[in-house]
Amino acid sequence: MSAAQSNSFDVVIVGAGVSGAMIAKQLGLAGKKVLILESGAGLPPNINDFVERFYTALAKVPEIPYTPDLFTPPGTFNLQDPTLMNAPRPSVLTLGSNWKDPKQSYLIQEGPLAFGSTYERVAGGTMRHWLGTSLRFVPNDFRMQSQYQQLVDWPFGYSQLEPWYGEAEKEIGVSANAADQAYLGITFPNGYKYPMNPIVPSLVDDAVSKGVNGTNFKGTPLTVTGTPAGRNSQPYQNRRVCAGNTNCIPICPIQAKYDPSVTLEQALNTGNVQIWPKTVASEVVVDGSGRVSEIKYLQYQEPGGAQTGSGSVTAKVFVIAAHAIETPKLLLMSTNGGRTPKGVANFSGQMGKNLMDHPLYLAWALMPKPVFGYRGPLATSGIESTRDGGFRKERAAFRIEIGNEGWNFPINDPYTTTVDFINGINQSGLNPIGGGQPQALFGPGLVNSLNDRLTRQFRLGFLVEQSPDSKNCVTLAAERDHLNLQRPKIQYDISPYSRAGLGAAVEAADQIFTQLKAQQFTTDPAPDDPSALEVPVNGKPKRIKFFGSGHIVGTYCMGTTKGNSVVNSEQRSWDHPNLFLVGSGVFPTVATGNPTLTIAALSLWAAQTIKKDLA
Amino acid sequence: MSDTSMDLFVGLSAVLTGVDKTMLAPGLDPINIKKTYFDYAQNKAGATFQQLLNIYQQNQSLPAAQIGDIILNKSGDDVRYLARSVMLMWYLGSWYDPADLKKYNGTNPPTDPVPAFAVISSAAYTNGWSWNVAQAHPMGYSNFQYGYWSKLPPSLQDFIGGGS
Repeated sequence: MSAAQSNSFDVVIVGAGVSGAMIAKQLGLAGKKVLILESGAGLPPNINDFVERFYTALAKVPEIPYTPDLFTPPGTFNLQDPTLMNAPRPSVLTLGSNWKDPKQSYLIQEGPLAFGSTYERVAGGTMRHWLGTSLRFVPNDFRMQSQYQQLVDWPFGYSQLEPWYGEAEKEIGVSANAADQAYLGITFPNGYKYPMNPIVPSLVDDAVSKGVNGTNFKGTPLTVTGTPAGRNSQPYQNRRVCAGNTNCIPICPIQAKYDPSVTLEQALNTGNVQIWPKTVASEVVVDGSGRVSEIKYLQYQEPGGAQTGSGSVTAKVFVIAAHAIETPKLLLMSTNGGRTPKGVANFSGQMGKNLMDHPLYLAWALMPKPVFGYRGPLATSGIESTRDGGFRKERAAFRIEIGNEGWNFPINDPYTTTVDFINGINQSGLNPIGGGQPQALFGPGLVNSLNDRLTRQFRLGFLVEQSPDSKNCVTLAAERDHLNLQRPKIQYDISPYSRAGLGAAVEAADQIFTQLKAQQFTTDPAPDDPSALEVPVNGKPKRIKFFGSGHIVGTYCMGTTKGNSVVNSEQRSWDHPNLFLVGSGVFPTVATGNPTLTIAALSLWAAQTIKKDLA
Repeated sequence: MSDTSMDLFVGLSAVLTGVDKTMLAPGLDPINIKKTYFDYAQNKAGATFQQLLNIYQQNQSLPAAQIGDIILNKSGDDVRYLARSVMLMWYLGSWYDPADLKKYNGTNPPTDPVPAFAVISSAAYTNGWSWNVAQAHPMGYSNFQYGYWSKLPPSLQDFIGGGS
């Protein structure tokens, strides 16, 4: 930054993701001077480079389009060494035999299980590659302890958050129908309308609906519901209507799906908000009165280049919005020369603890007739009726996401099956079905076989609620990045309660496929897969694979007392009154819906509180 | 490269892929992906590629099924696996090295998924035929309009043409 630039603001925000963007916009509109420190690259003029990188990438994983390139040189399969990067980030490509290699995996994974979710360090944040799912949590998600004597309660209930859900739906631009979403106690104000009409369902959704609606799984109804989507069913916010590119993750090529760059642009347009990209917050400084006085930062120009600057910024209010792994990392690093040896905002000792995700069980099958996947948004409907019920006294709940992308997620199709039929091998299980000598095809035989298999593929994803557990945590590793900052160390396991939920997911998948007369192809995990675990299925242990859902939650949970939590119900640090910690890290539980809408709602709520503080 | 060589390549590709020549190489063809693939194969496997074209040239009057059988089953491993690489270029926009394909097709194949050697270009990706054969579109590249996914797609013949 130039010497002429001010280093004093009303509010300094760390992180230009969804939370930082939404808070910055609200404060900018209120005339407050806001600075966002972003550890990664700033807003590009357009997404053309991101899309081009996706098209030409060998591994089309969620993080692949974004800056900096995962590979060196680009186009190869050689992962960047995080030791040599200034703002490294995790990748799902380090969840194999390399999961504990610090020269491949940015996260220092201690296990016993691999933590499977990743995040971005770039303007727009991890929501750059969100699916668009904009579910509200159900009321019982907020009161698990009082309702089911499991997990913990939130410090407020659904009714207090409800108005902010409405605000978040407006900001994101959600397509849905309130009547469809009024299930399991979810309520709306009289006459409430989502900003846009619901996204139309897919032929896959129709087939699943016909097979399951009106039936139940162990007494819990199975009902397919259209998914509220942060994508346009009509023009909104000067953005186009969804054209069904089937690529919401990792990138919508036409930005019909909302991402936080939309709100960041609006924040910048207030004239009161600045973003400093490639500026990594390195310490939160606390003064003698217990208030945060400044944030120190380090700067660079090239992703793997030398440090180019350092400094500090002051403000009246500070907001850490760096997601649920970088936020606790920064605060744990902030020891203030020994004055805060446990880090900042950590009187409770809870900083970094209760790391959660939705462990995802993936099951895939062939329908008896074509359902024409690989078309439409990646998911347009789900089975939400399984998100709540008396069973939550015994095992974790889940929602069931219906995929529209064939077997792309399960086996990287159509690549795998195409190679199978052309090269006469059988990695898909489809050449032939049931085993035997694989065929090598060409001409019409190839076309017809591929058409038959690909058009009948579909998959279900079961997103299971994970228990908060203080042993699942983010701490500081000895390993460092190129700016000599410590990297996050992760300990991660899944509780018996959530394993029981995963087991129920396996049973539900088997039942649903039977009802649909679909032939299941879900495979067992490899013996050395770090993302495999034993779960109870029909009373017997079964080893299954789970995936991260990208829903990184917990680590600076909100609660009711200074002793049991990091922030209060306002998302304000119990310890430092001018410090707010926002994002999914404040969630006391991961609940049963994808977290983004709740992140946005809570961020807008926090923005109002900050505005009052500054009035 | 002469026009004749390109004609042979398109004819050969139609036999192997099962996609009509007019779809692989439309009359108005600003993307001209056939040339990208021709050059790529020529660069990667010049002599064998020429041999492949020659075999097609000598047998092009035969029924397509017979031509394919000659190329894939009666012309040796080098021709067989290069032909498969050519098919995979058209289907996936990527180059799979013939030697890798042979390795995975052997008696002790590697257990890892078959590696793509390279995505040839963004245009190659967005013109991949696997998605069209699924009556869909390459992921991230749709020319359809909102809501198409709630209706039956056009017929398979509409995607791949009238047959080769």
